[in-house]
Amino acid sequence: MDKETLKQKIMEVFQKKASGAGKSKIYLKDLQREIPEANPRDIKNAANELVKEGKLEYFSTGSTVMYGLPGVGMGLEAGMEKPEE
Amino acid sequence: MGEVKKHDTPLMDDLKSGPWPSFVDDIYSYAERHKKQACFDILGQMELSYKNKETHWKHGGIVGVFGYGGGVIGRYSDQQEKFPAIWAFHTVRVNQPAAKWYHTSALRKLCDMWDHRGSGIMNLHGSTGDIILLGTVTEQLEYIFYDLGHQLKMDLGGSGSNLRTPECCMGMSRCEWSCIDTQDIVYELTMAFQDELHRPAFPYKFKIKVSGCPNDCVAAIARADFSVIGTWRDRIKIDQEAVRAYVGGELKPNAGAHSDRDWGPFDIKKEVIDLCPTKCMFWDEGQRKLYINDAECNRCMHCINVMPEALWPGDDRGAVILMGAKAPILEGAQLSTVIIPFMKLEPPYDNLKNLLYKVWDYWMEHGKNRERLGETIQRIGLNRFIVDVLGIKPIPQHVKEPRSNPYIFWKEEEVEGGWTRDVAEFRKRHPA
Amino acid sequence: MSERPERPDPIYTQPYDPTLAEKLYNPQKPMENRITDIGPPHYWQFLPPVIQRNYGKWKSHEIIQPGVLKYKAHSGEVVYVVRCGTPRLETTDYVREICEIADKYCDGYVRWTTRNNVEFHVTDEEKLRALLEDLKSRKMPNGAYKFPIGGTGASVTNIVHTQGWIHCHTAAIDASGVVKAIMDELFDYFGSHKLPAQVRLALACCINMCGAVHCSDIAVVGIHRKPPLVEDERLDKVCEIPLVIASCPLGAIKPATVEVAGEKRKSVRVNVDRCMFCGNCYTMCPAMPISDGQGDGLALVVGGKVSNRITPPTFSKVVIPFIPNEPPRWPTAVKWIKKILEIYSQNARKYERVGDWIQRIGWEKFFELTDIPFTWHLIDDYRLAYDTYRTSVHFKFTSHVETVTDFE
Ligand code: HEM
Ligand code: HEM
Ligand code: HEM
Ligand code: SF4
Ligand code: SF4
Ligand code: SF4
Ligand code: SF4
Repeated sequence: MDKETLKQKIMEVFQKKASGAGKSKIYLKDLQREIPEANPRDIKNAANELVKEGKLEYFSTGSTVMYGLPGVGMGLEAGMEKPEE
Repeated sequence: MGEVKKHDTPLMDDLKSGPWPSFVDDIYSYAERHKKQACFDILGQMELSYKNKETHWKHGGIVGVFGYGGGVIGRYSDQQEKFPAIWAFHTVRVNQPAAKWYHTSALRKLCDMWDHRGSGIMNLHGSTGDIILLGTVTEQLEYIFYDLGHQLKMDLGGSGSNLRTPECCMGMSRCEWSCIDTQDIVYELTMAFQDELHRPAFPYKFKIKVSGCPNDCVAAIARADFSVIGTWRDRIKIDQEAVRAYVGGELKPNAGAHSDRDWGPFDIKKEVIDLCPTKCMFWDEGQRKLYINDAECNRCMHCINVMPEALWPGDDRGAVILMGAKAPILEGAQLSTVIIPFMKLEPPYDNLKNLLYKVWDYWMEHGKNRERLGETIQRIGLNRFIVDVLGIKPIPQHVKEPRSNPYIFWKEEEVEGGWTRDVAEFRKRHPA
Repeated sequence: MSERPERPDPIYTQPYDPTLAEKLYNPQKPMENRITDIGPPHYWQFLPPVIQRNYGKWKSHEIIQPGVLKYKAHSGEVVYVVRCGTPRLETTDYVREICEIADKYCDGYVRWTTRNNVEFHVTDEEKLRALLEDLKSRKMPNGAYKFPIGGTGASVTNIVHTQGWIHCHTAAIDASGVVKAIMDELFDYFGSHKLPAQVRLALACCINMCGAVHCSDIAVVGIHRKPPLVEDERLDKVCEIPLVIASCPLGAIKPATVEVAGEKRKSVRVNVDRCMFCGNCYTMCPAMPISDGQGDGLALVVGGKVSNRITPPTFSKVVIPFIPNEPPRWPTAVKWIKKILEIYSQNARKYERVGDWIQRIGWEKFFELTDIPFTWHLIDDYRLAYDTYRTSVHFKFTSHVETVTDFE
């Protein structure tokens, strides 16, 4: 699978998850499970490139990292608005 | 900047007394000198924690800088009204130089940056090995990253499900026992795996730690998914003259580590020969000569630790590669398990890198979410991991003892005639 | 081998420019001027020249007094190293003071150990004496030593520890304050060599256990004892429910629909019998706080080690399942740690680590000697628990054994 097709498939997975189950953040493993025909390392590289292009963003708890669509679902700073000064 | 607001912190103040260096005294002195509200607020919030016996932090999903999936841990106060200067108090992990040597020119510049962009509070070092810069707000993260790259030639460390910052003991820089160049190995691996370090690559975190000898000063066997521990496979080097000096009391045993207590005169029989776990040493009182049956030695380092002026690791040096250590969470704690009993490690360490790639390829494909390598190995079985995944020959060194149950998962191809049998044939021999 | 830069990069002597990053970073074009993946500075530039010259060619070492090591190279060159404890949690001013000392005596070179000690290197004895005097004279405003000398040989060296209440959201106990309280009490053991062997202390503020707490001679682990709260009113607004469910390592969280003020809302329920109080759920969801002033506290674990010396590396074992939080000085925890240390010191043989000593005398003797009450919590019922049951008739008759005559 060439890289552009793979990237497109990845984006489709995200759109499907976000509109269906309302799940906006996905582990790399789950992404790899959704696209079994591609090599896990290629998926990783493609997803990381999508982040660089601004089409995906990382979401981390410190111990793990997930990928998400920017602006969809729980934000990076959800529930932690900066107080007015 | 207006006047700073100080908080009443009687409980924290109690930690100013006593002989051990006090972080409270230090942070207050700094806060006063630099008029830093964040420092007053952090001690204010800690005071509240000391009063309530509860932490006052919550977590965000922040990762920090553009294009990196790790290196920053997001943190938010749940007391934003009371302590507005620490409403966000993120930490930045900065990859330390191998074995934590510095020149003050670099440290001072890092301090100047952190005064300007953060709380001025840091850890040298976090338990991950990184330099930890504690306490900054979201808006500063990109600037900190630009300062690190452009002015300090430094980079972030790992967090999340990335490769974590590799770490090593002081190795050849000062230790005569180091059987491998721990610092060079760690530097080479860190540089080779920058992508894995900064961007998520794995089902969960992955740590590499490198110790120069079986004393294991970075606790590689207890803390790393991939532990490299230096060792040797020829003979322990002996300076008989120096051994006699220990026996004669001219040299202090264990480099003087027991100097403040009277343990009586050094007794080589009691303190070395009898404690040798393999009982492979012999002190010939008549000849005044030490013999070691090196084929029986398991290289525990005891005799070498006791007589550093007389004994050294041999010359055929390399490393044991072990895998799978993890903290107790979930399946219980695990120590790393021997995978390769002896590997020569010479730059550019391609053998080590290839081994890592092989392990990662398998783990990326078959590991479950949040499953550490050690748990994957346990799930599929050490035997399968060694033989089927890595293609290594199984040997007794892989186990403490063979299994005691005969519940063996035979493979069909191992059994003569396979598993397909004819019931009719069977019934001919055994009428029902 | 990687190329070795001889001297510290000249970039470090150029003053820090606080305005540069604002000029370089453009939020609209985040890739502009971005330097990535350069890795750490090369270690070689930070090695003192004498270390560079003798790299990999060291002959032997000697601890000439607690905290002071002398290394001899095959070339005949000698390096003296002074090791000092630090609080690990420190300010840039504290680090600058270290720099000032390193500039004055060590040509600007300095190193940290794995266990949060700082090490100064000099090559002649006169400088060594001056350095020692200087270090001893430096005090904090309220009298604490800034740079206590020690941490070598048969001592209690600095405690490896995690963040605690200064930073972590799952911390059941503080870290730096507990460490300070312990080290104040054990201070004498840091700067002396009077124990049977080195004693490694560690502290983790929750059961995620960052660091090698599970393999230390004596260690403190923070524990929660109450399952997380579930804030139904807020949960569906601030948390993404599938993520919360996925965050629990034991699968103890299930989705639920609940009624809040007559309104149907999405939330979760925790199967409290499966919860092991790890706090991962709170990481994903601020509406599931786990901390509790009464529920939280610490456990003491002892007898582990990482070194392969004589006996193989071993895990620490739980000997006190719970001690409540007692800020600011945690007197009960400190009392027990000191007691264990002293009983060990009186009873162990030379070179025997805490765990080796206990192995020799038996755990039942350990509990008898230390007067630590043995309770049901100390009998393992987690996975692989069976490994710890006593399946022989080899044991000692300590005070724990009551002779059974009648049994109803
Ligand atoms: C699922 C469980 C875990 C979670 C949610 C978790 C989360 C975290 C978080 C949020 C931090 C940052 C703390 C801070 O700076 O405020 C951290 C640090 C750390 N974690 Fe974990 N962790 C987990 C398991 C582990 C395990 C199993 C290990 C060890 C094998 C580990 C080792 C570390 C280390 C060494 C640090 C650095 C602490 C320091 O510098 O003091 N973690 N962890
Ligand atoms: C393959 C599964 C096994 C089967 C079907 C099995 C079956 C049996 C049977 C039928 C006996 C009674 C023999 C007799 O008295 O004539 C027996 C005895 C025994 N089995 Fe097993 N067994 C199995 C596995 C094991 C294993 C794995 C162990 C221990 C690790 C074990 C330990 C024993 C012991 C200790 C005895 C008593 C021997 C004695 O009386 O001296 N068995 N077993
Ligand atoms: C007298 C000889 C010894 C000297 C000079 C010595 C020196 C050191 C130094 C400098 C460190 C800090 C290492 C670093 O930061 O890279 C260290 C740490 C350590 N050493 Fe040694 N060491 C000696 C003997 C031993 C022995 C005999 C053992 C084990 C029985 C041992 C176990 C450790 C451990 C476990 C650590 C720290 C591990 C951690 O930080 O988690 N050392 N030692
Ligand atoms: S692990 Fe071995 S080689 Fe490395 S510093 Fe410790 S004693 Fe020296
Ligand atoms: S290293 Fe250990 S096993 Fe080997 S001879 Fe020395 S004491 Fe014995
Ligand atoms: S041990 Fe637990 S509470 Fe402490 S810093 Fe690590 S994750 Fe946080
Ligand atoms: S505290 Fe841990 S075990 Fe308990 S519900 Fe939360 S995530 Fe699950």
